[in-house]
Amino acid sequence: MDEIRDEIKNIEKSAERIKALAGDNHAISKNASIILTFTYLLRFDTPEVGE
Amino acid sequence: MDYWNNYTETLPREKLNKIELSHFKNLFSYAKSHSPLYAEKLKGIEAKEIKTFDDIKKVPFTYKEELRKWQENVDPFPYGGLLGVPIEEVSTFRQTSGTTGRPVYVPETYESWQWRVEAWCHILWMAGFRPRHRVFLPFGYNVYVAFWEAHYAAEKVGCEVIPGGALDTKGRVNKIIELKVNAMTGTPTYILNIAQEAMGMGIDPKSFGIERILGAGEPLPEATRKRIEATYGCKMFDHIGSTETCGFAATCEAQNGLHIIEPFFIVELLDRETLSKEVAVGEQGVIVITPLGRRSFPVIRFNTNDVAIKGPSECECGRTSGKLMEIVGRVDDIRKIRGVLFSPKTVEQLVRSEFPEIVEYEIVLTRQDIMDQLTLRIELDPKVGSGEAGAVAGRLAERHKIKTNLSCKVKVEPVGSLPRYDLKAKRFKDVRGDH
Repeated sequence: MDEIRDEIKNIEKSAERIKALAGDNHAISKNASIILTFTYLLRFDTPEVGE
Repeated sequence: MDYWNNYTETLPREKLNKIELSHFKNLFSYAKSHSPLYAEKLKGIEAKEIKTFDDIKKVPFTYKEELRKWQENVDPFPYGGLLGVPIEEVSTFRQTSGTTGRPVYVPETYESWQWRVEAWCHILWMAGFRPRHRVFLPFGYNVYVAFWEAHYAAEKVGCEVIPGGALDTKGRVNKIIELKVNAMTGTPTYILNIAQEAMGMGIDPKSFGIERILGAGEPLPEATRKRIEATYGCKMFDHIGSTETCGFAATCEAQNGLHIIEPFFIVELLDRETLSKEVAVGEQGVIVITPLGRRSFPVIRFNTNDVAIKGPSECECGRTSGKLMEIVGRVDDIRKIRGVLFSPKTVEQLVRSEFPEIVEYEIVLTRQDIMDQLTLRIELDPKVGSGEAGAVAGRLAERHKIKTNLSCKVKVEPVGSLPRYDLKAKRFKDVRGDH
C-alpha cells in the first residue's frame, strides 16, 4: 500500500504542475483538476492508519 | 471473496476507528472554516479536543430542521449557510423529497459527487453488480438524487446502464424484454408494480432473466425481499442512504444485515432515550451519520431519525465493517395507538409474507371521539373472487391483531384505486391532526 500511496502523491504533484503550466488553457486546467478529484478518492481508498 | 476495495473492507476494527477519527478531525476543521452553519455550531470546540473515537460524541448533532433554517433566506441562493465551497465550484443540484417539510437543497461539486459515486460502487459491488450486467433504472431522473448515484456508480463498476425514465410501467416491461436486461435497481414497491404489470400482460417476470435487483428509497422487509426474489427468480439486495448523507450501508451476498461503508462514513447507533450511548448488538438505536469526505456540503453527526437494530461486525463475507441488522423505521412513523407502539413496517411484513393476494395496501390512522382507529385499505389481485374478499379481510384483521396487539378495520377497495408509487411509497397516513 505504501508504494501505491507514493504513486498517488506523484500523480498529485504532476497534476498540480500541469495546472500551473496550463495558464489560461481551460481544457488542460480542468482535466488536471479532474485528476486531482480522483487522487482525493484514491487517498480515501488507501488511508494510512495513524498512530 | 471479491471486494470493491479489499484493503479498506477487511481492515480490523481498531484500524478503522483510527482512520475514521483522522477523517473526522479533517472534516471538522474544514467545516468549521468553510461552512457558515458549522462556523456557528462548532464555536467553542476545537479539533484538537477530539482525541479519541469517543470524543466524537462531544460534537453536537445536526438536525434536518437546522439544514432548512440555514438555507431559508440565507445567501448564497439556494444553498445558504450549508455550502462548503465557493458557489462557482458547484456542478450539480440535488434536493431532498420534502416529505417532512421544506426540501433541503444539496450542492455537489465534481469532487463531492465522485466521492458519493465511489461510496455507491461499494454498494453495487456488494450486491453482485458486475461488468457483465446490463442494468435498467426504471425511474424518471430529476432533481432527486435517487438513481443518479446508481447510474454513475453502475457505469463506474463497469456495467452497461439503461436509463428507464420517460416510460410508463408497460413501456418499461417492454424495454426490459427488448434489451435483455439482467440487473435492476428500484423501490421495492415499484419493482413489485413492474411484476404485476408484466403478469397483466401475460408475461412471467422470471422470463426476464434478471439476476440481481438492488432496492432503493424504501425499507426492504425480509418478507418483501423474499416475495420479489420468488416473483423474479433473482437475488434482491438492499441499501440505506439519504440525499443529505449518501448511501451509507448495504447488504452483501450473505443477505444478513447491511454493512456500513467504512471508512467513508461514521455511523453511530444511539439509544433512543438519551442519544448519548452506542447501543449493544441486537438493540435498537437512532442512526447518526457523518459522511467523511464531502466538502461541498459538510454534514457532521446528522441525526436521521431512523431507527435500526445494531448487528455484529462478523460476517461470512469477511468484511469487517459495522452492520445494521434491520431498519425498523423512522422515529416519526412510530406511533402510540391506544397505548401500544405501532410501526407501519409490521403491516408490510405481514402483508408481504402471508397475503400474496393483496397487491396494494394503505394504512390510515384516524380519531373518532377520543379513540384512535386504524384502518387497512387493501386491494386484491383481480383473480380473487368477490366471494373470497371478505375471508381475506377477516384473516388479515385477525393476523394484524396477533402481530401488533391492535385491532383494525379492513376495507377492500376496487382494483386500481389505491395509489401506486415509483419513488417513496407513502402507505401510512396519520390524519388525526394532533399527533
